[in-house]
Amino acid sequence: MSGRRSRGSVSEEEINELISKLQSLLPTARRRGGSSSSSSQASTAKMLKETCSYIKTLNREVEDLSDRLTDLMATMDQNSPAAEIIRSLLR
Amino acid sequence: MRGPTAKAFKQGFLRSFLLSLKSCRTGDMSLQERKRAVRSSADAAMATARGGGAIWPRALLASSSSSPSSSSWPGLLLNAAKVKTTRCKSTARRCCRPKRSSSEMIARRLVRKRTKILRGMVPGGELLDSVSLLREAMDYVVHLRAQVAVLRRVSNAMHHMAATSYLTGLDLSRLAQGLLHRVCN
Repeated sequence: MSGRRSRGSVSEEEINELISKLQSLLPTARRRGGSSSSSSQASTAKMLKETCSYIKTLNREVEDLSDRLTDLMATMDQNSPAAEIIRSLLR
Repeated sequence: MRGPTAKAFKQGFLRSFLLSLKSCRTGDMSLQERKRAVRSSADAAMATARGGGAIWPRALLASSSSSPSSSSWPGLLLNAAKVKTTRCKSTARRCCRPKRSSSEMIARRLVRKRTKILRGMVPGGELLDSVSLLREAMDYVVHLRAQVAVLRRVSNAMHHMAATSYLTGLDLSRLAQGLLHRVCN
């Protein structure tokens, strides 16, 4: 992520704002009292790592929940009143 | 995501998801195939509910579809979205100040490396410049969280219904409607 863009329309402040907004979404958001320029690259690197890790976690949760739903739907296949209700709702 | 937008997305997602599940003929599938079908229904529903305000939904739909047109979607994307492609490495070298501390150089290298990893994690990320990638990542994370929230409520609702199947049919139908209403809100 280059700090200077000769033809860019995005200023460095906008980039920093984006970075801090993204950081606030992460579960490990930690407030720093104004990042100094010398450590801004380091905190960006850390934020990128946490973002990737968070996306991985979320995708894994979706996978686990989908598996759970698959199992629940399978148990619904039997002829129970609950199964019929769910089937009618999905119809 | 603000309140009304989040609610609209969750409802749209749930609707698309349930419709997709309904049209799935899972009777002849193996367990693994069924799991994959449910997962891809969830992803397609998330992408559909998000709509056109971001790049990742189209990328997600393209990667899960097996149609021949999906291989040409980067071209369609570039035409539609006027996305800037980046030549990060050469630009960075050109703009590099002659004297830079080695720790800062290491940090820059780390940022470039991790940006590349992030590109792989966000659908459509490969075609985006760094700034757009950050925006897409934010949007993607927010909607992933909403997807998780809805899926969790759906599976809790179904589990609850399965566990209370000793009730009469009439009670169950009211229970089901109530649960479905709660899931959407």
